[in-house]
Amino acid sequence: MAAAGMRCPACGSTNIVDDDLYSQAQLVCVDCGSVVSEGVLANDPVGGSDVSFSRTTAVAKRPCTNLIKGELLPSKRSFSLLLQCNSVLLLVHFLKWICFTHTGQQRVKAICRILMVNREIEDLSQTCRQLNWPITVGTISCLLDADSMAVGAIYQEMVKNLSIEAPIINVTDVIEAHCHEYKISSLDVPEEMAENSRDLTKRAVALVELAADSWIVTGRKPIPIMMAVTYLAWQSLKPNKHRLKFSLDKFCQVAKVKKLKSAMKRVAEIKEVLCKLGKEIPWVRETVTPDNVIQLVECILQNRYALLRRAMRTHEDALLEESQASCAEAPPEGTASSQISECADQAPIMSFVKQNGLNSDGKEKPGDVDYNPRVLPKHSDTQESQNPPPNWGKRVLFAPPCVIHAKKRRAVQPEHTDVTGDEEISDSEIDSYIRTPQEARDFALMQHMLSLSDSAKS
Amino acid sequence: MDSSNDEALDIIITNVVATFRTRCHLNLRTIALEGTNVIYKPEVGKVLMKLRKPMITASIWSSGKIICTGATSEDEAKLGARRLARCLQKLGFKVRFSAFKVVNVLAVCSMPFAVNLINFTKNNRPIASYEPELHPAATYRIKNLKATIQVFSTGSLTVTGISLLTRLNTHRHIKYLTPFYVQLRRHIGLRD
Repeated sequence: MAAAGMRCPACGSTNIVDDDLYSQAQLVCVDCGSVVSEGVLANDPVGGSDVSFSRTTAVAKRPCTNLIKGELLPSKRSFSLLLQCNSVLLLVHFLKWICFTHTGQQRVKAICRILMVNREIEDLSQTCRQLNWPITVGTISCLLDADSMAVGAIYQEMVKNLSIEAPIINVTDVIEAHCHEYKISSLDVPEEMAENSRDLTKRAVALVELAADSWIVTGRKPIPIMMAVTYLAWQSLKPNKHRLKFSLDKFCQVAKVKKLKSAMKRVAEIKEVLCKLGKEIPWVRETVTPDNVIQLVECILQNRYALLRRAMRTHEDALLEESQASCAEAPPEGTASSQISECADQAPIMSFVKQNGLNSDGKEKPGDVDYNPRVLPKHSDTQESQNPPPNWGKRVLFAPPCVIHAKKRRAVQPEHTDVTGDEEISDSEIDSYIRTPQEARDFALMQHMLSLSDSAKS
Repeated sequence: MDSSNDEALDIIITNVVATFRTRCHLNLRTIALEGTNVIYKPEVGKVLMKLRKPMITASIWSSGKIICTGATSEDEAKLGARRLARCLQKLGFKVRFSAFKVVNVLAVCSMPFAVNLINFTKNNRPIASYEPELHPAATYRIKNLKATIQVFSTGSLTVTGISLLTRLNTHRHIKYLTPFYVQLRRHIGLRD
């Protein structure tokens, strides 16, 4: 739009246009380009000008020919350029564009086509294979600012469509990257709270391995576990009063990390395991509780395999004594003989217990339990065969926490008498599901009154 | 049955999903007004009706298609479906019970040992898949049985698949060794 009656002070031209940049109103001379006058920023409409930024700065802009809706077929050159950048973020932005501008099926097809064009990239979570950097779905969904379930669903569809085998990422692989996120180096926090990232990672890895051996990691989300071990590692590296007073909340605040609710539970579980092992340290006289176990963490981690073996042995001995005592009390109905054998496995780990349970009262109990070199003593107590079968988790030293602290089950539903599906259905049964005419009228009236009162309120 | 193996397993069917048709249009408002134990969902266009005995929840659409869930056996599902059809008949609709079909069966089974899901998945690729961030269980699909098993680290299994019905009988508690269980053990790589 031309501003009537104005002359450019530089060249004297009257060809002056109103050039509304997204930030400021300006009058500009077309011939020489000088700014004749500019509006005050404060006068601009709240929420930005009416013309959006992309429209004001658009100069015959076309969408990239590669990224046309539903017809994503990037040229080999552009994609290889993308790879050469070696930048995760660039790829993430690219994927973000796909994820947010196309619908589900199209997205997956598009991503599959892209990945097929360049077979070097096998998998979304292994995109960083070039950098040899494993990332989690959580990280990706954070970068994409998307719901992790949605990202996960797309990822699974991709894996299916491309028929690829994504290697499973172990928590120990990812923990290093995770620890780096925590801003507790000496540059960010006071010296007494600072910790070297390498030491922290090393301690955290040891804690994670211990947690994995004691069934805390399997089946759980990895990120709360990593948060818990990082917190415990930080506390145990300098277990002074100051650090011990720090709760997980405060630690996350200091490290500028968003706290996850389940991390607290993981902390408690790991502390429980540490207590079980701390009890086995020969030179510790006082009772080991979750409060004072942090000081012992370093010692526990250094000798964890030996302590695990000791703990298993103590537990087996205790079980043996118990079964002998219970057999001696009651007349033997069928003794449970236990063969306890200990065997050290290849790499890390511990003893497993092999037991043969016997039948009693015609109730069969699973017998052999040797399949997984990691644990699982199962003790079938014949005395308890009258009661509901004992929770096997209560009898072992290490088991998934939800088995050890099993929820109480509701009373078992009474056995239904044999149902054939073709029985007669009596009228009285059916009538119980139908309102009488009077009830129906009352109900209709009540609904009407409710809707009236709702509309009166609003 | 394999008598040399004295293992046994309690496989409990917890849910049977069945569908049937009434071959007539159903007025959902009438059902909502005159039926007890009914929830009307106009935004989705269906009515949920719950029966007490057997404990069944039915989704009723106006086209006459009905889905029953919550039964613990195939026969119970059929009985519940017939009760429902009878109920709708009494409400005044010209219902003809037809096309009854069991669509899905869900059973649970608990093993007395924990399973290391990472090793389990590694040993059983690509049949098994495990994404700890998305779901705590490893999913194991047996193609020829058309069954999906979810293996939890606590040793609980959730088995879904119609083919179960042909192999398990209709009693609630099944205590015998099925070829399916044998296959499962083989797949999991259990050693005796």
